[in-house]
Amino acid sequence: MKRLMAIMLKDNLIRFTSPLEWLFFLILPVIFTFILSGGTGEASDSRILLYVVDQAQSSLSISLISELERSTSVKPEVTSLNNAQSAFESRKVSAVLVLPEDLSMQTLQAGNAEVELWQQPSNTNALIARQGIQAAVNRVSSSVDIANISVNQASKIKPFSSESARQVFFDQALATAQDLMNSAPRRVVEIKGVTPDPVSYDPRANSSLGQMITWVFIPLIGLSAMFAMERQAGTLRRILVTPTSKATIIAGTVIGQVLTALVQMVILILFGIFVMKINWGESPLAVALMITSSALAAGALGTMLGTFVKTEGQANGLSIMVGMVMAMMGGCWYPIELFPAVIRNIVKIFPTTWAMQGMLDIVTRGQGVSGVWLEAAVLFGFALVFFVIGVWRFKYE
Amino acid sequence: MRKLFLIALKDLRLIFRDRSALILMLVAPFVLTLGMGAVTGRFSGSSTSGIRDIPVTIVNLDNGQLGNALVEMFTSADLADLVEPVLLSDLDAAKILVDEDESAAVIFIPEGFSASIIPDPATGSLSEHIEIEFYSNPTRPTSAGILKTILDQFISQVEIARISGEVAVRQMIENGLIETSQAAVLGATIGREMSNVSMARSSITINDITASGEAVEFDILSYMAPGMALMFLMFTVAYGGRSLIVENRQSTLPRMLVTPTSSTLILGGKVFGIFLTAVAQLLILIGGTSLLFRLYWGDLLGLIVLVMTAAIGATGWGVLLAAVLNTPGQVATVGSAVMLIFGLLGGSFFDLSNLPTWVQFLSRITPNAWGMDGFTTLALGGTLKNILTPVAALTGMGIVLFTISALWITRHGLSRK
Repeated sequence: MKRLMAIMLKDNLIRFTSPLEWLFFLILPVIFTFILSGGTGEASDSRILLYVVDQAQSSLSISLISELERSTSVKPEVTSLNNAQSAFESRKVSAVLVLPEDLSMQTLQAGNAEVELWQQPSNTNALIARQGIQAAVNRVSSSVDIANISVNQASKIKPFSSESARQVFFDQALATAQDLMNSAPRRVVEIKGVTPDPVSYDPRANSSLGQMITWVFIPLIGLSAMFAMERQAGTLRRILVTPTSKATIIAGTVIGQVLTALVQMVILILFGIFVMKINWGESPLAVALMITSSALAAGALGTMLGTFVKTEGQANGLSIMVGMVMAMMGGCWYPIELFPAVIRNIVKIFPTTWAMQGMLDIVTRGQGVSGVWLEAAVLFGFALVFFVIGVWRFKYE
Repeated sequence: MRKLFLIALKDLRLIFRDRSALILMLVAPFVLTLGMGAVTGRFSGSSTSGIRDIPVTIVNLDNGQLGNALVEMFTSADLADLVEPVLLSDLDAAKILVDEDESAAVIFIPEGFSASIIPDPATGSLSEHIEIEFYSNPTRPTSAGILKTILDQFISQVEIARISGEVAVRQMIENGLIETSQAAVLGATIGREMSNVSMARSSITINDITASGEAVEFDILSYMAPGMALMFLMFTVAYGGRSLIVENRQSTLPRMLVTPTSSTLILGGKVFGIFLTAVAQLLILIGGTSLLFRLYWGDLLGLIVLVMTAAIGATGWGVLLAAVLNTPGQVATVGSAVMLIFGLLGGSFFDLSNLPTWVQFLSRITPNAWGMDGFTTLALGGTLKNILTPVAALTGMGIVLFTISALWITRHGLSRK
């Protein structure tokens, strides 16, 4: 036991010799969690982006833009002509609406108001923008359209005696049309369906859990670098002359780093609870079970990898790469429900998938031990398999 | 000049001989791109490059003029690419399609809808008020929103037609043009005439201008591959910068300084070596992903210029790290941290437009964000003239950072590195 403690202390002393280790232990996980909690959810406004160049700056152009803002399909963004041209030429926007200088109530009443719509070729987003603009244009011009129709119908029966008589008729018709449009009854009632959402996603919870797993797995997989470094430095060989078994050396290193990882996870959980306002449920036992099984699986994976690499440099590169790939594929960066069905099954080979699912069960589904025992059991299974392979392949030189 | 090239080529060879470095320079971005392609469905063909073929179910029990017009509009050739309408007669069956996520919405046109808007030609009377029911799928807000826009546009035109008749009749009665007894028939006639008018008719004309060229389908991998390449580019430049300190520790730098080679030339050679390595890394990744994933990176000239300038911007950061830090370990650790932070801020993991505004602003200090901007523009069919801003920003970033680094190194001495 004393030897075990000595190895654990030695490894942590080596690891935390440089204050820069705190970057990866705490600072980066917190930064990533904080930023991603606002960045990985569903886009808050998923409407099609429409650049609008308002050269008119008239009451009509302002009304039209307001109408577009109420659209359920396009999201107008007023910008300059140069910006719009540049974005359109580089195909960053599907459509641009230009409201020319002469767009005003006068040109609308005269029936020669025009707007310009630039569209990318064969682009469905541009087609959607066209529909949204047409709907907005119809609403804005509807009263004037109606007044013009009335004038035309009246002139068919009896031509107007003068232009002023025509204008008086138009003004009266416009006022009546505006009244009637404002009091028009509702024609469509919208009812929301009861489609179950396949993606239960909470950006704060997902980013907090996902980043915790990412930043705990990467250093634990990095245990491989510790073994490689000691092997390169010849210190493992020196231990050969001491009455210390292979299992004690490996257990000391793994347990030491797993305990450190548990401390790291507890700090990140507290950050989640007090800063991100995440509810970690009512079962501390379930939380303890999940973080312990996750850390053991990651530590054992690092031990196993350590027997395959030759140098510390290789181990460092490999641990970052393996950690990032496993985190991404395990649903720590993106909700796993968004993955194709085949991939959702394939990623079950990664411990990160089970760690993420178990922790999501606790945080978003309020599960206790009975709800996470399967995930924990699988993680302990991973730990056992990786550890056995690690011990079996372990070499001092 | 020959010495500068020799120093640069020597560094390039050393880096490409280091298997450990190659894992993060080439293998990691490649594997992560592969993983991202898999999780987004790029390789299984389930990724989407735009909204099209929105499934909508229409139940038309009206079978009147307006109900039929609405069905015709949704089944017209104009909307053929956008919507995929299914006509059913059973409302409950249609709603089940939405509840099972097989349809974005149901448009239910009840019996008597037309008669509730268009007056009876004989009596001029309307039947009771009837509303269309729009049953939307809450898990497809964008598609449902688009369908609602189309429906609203139709209703708006119907309303204009209805009110046109009413306004015209009122005005004509008030101006003594017709008798009250003629009102019902005339109103109904105008209403019918107007409801046949094209949906596009408005006092505001929309002049459509379609850009020349072919349609470009956005490939999700065109976003992810540059993201990963740029993130691990930061590893490469930090690793290159680290060699300056390593050479000093191994005493090869002092040895170079005793040769008739100025410290400026040595520093220039080291910087050029980092730049060459960065360019080589990007070109290998671009070539590899083009061949293996058939990824289109865009205009060749623009691509070459962007690769060069992205390497310049990133090299600036690598040299700065080497200038201000003191040990190879510090450069490796801080370099990895910078790589990940820049990857996050630069949009290598997520679309920046989903991140808070202050993050988007901060992202501009990273070569990743400017590089992503340029690579995405090229992938969407842009050319060199469309990426001049990111090219200028990356070049400027490299020059500013290199100047700061050179001043720092001059002040502290190259041999101290």
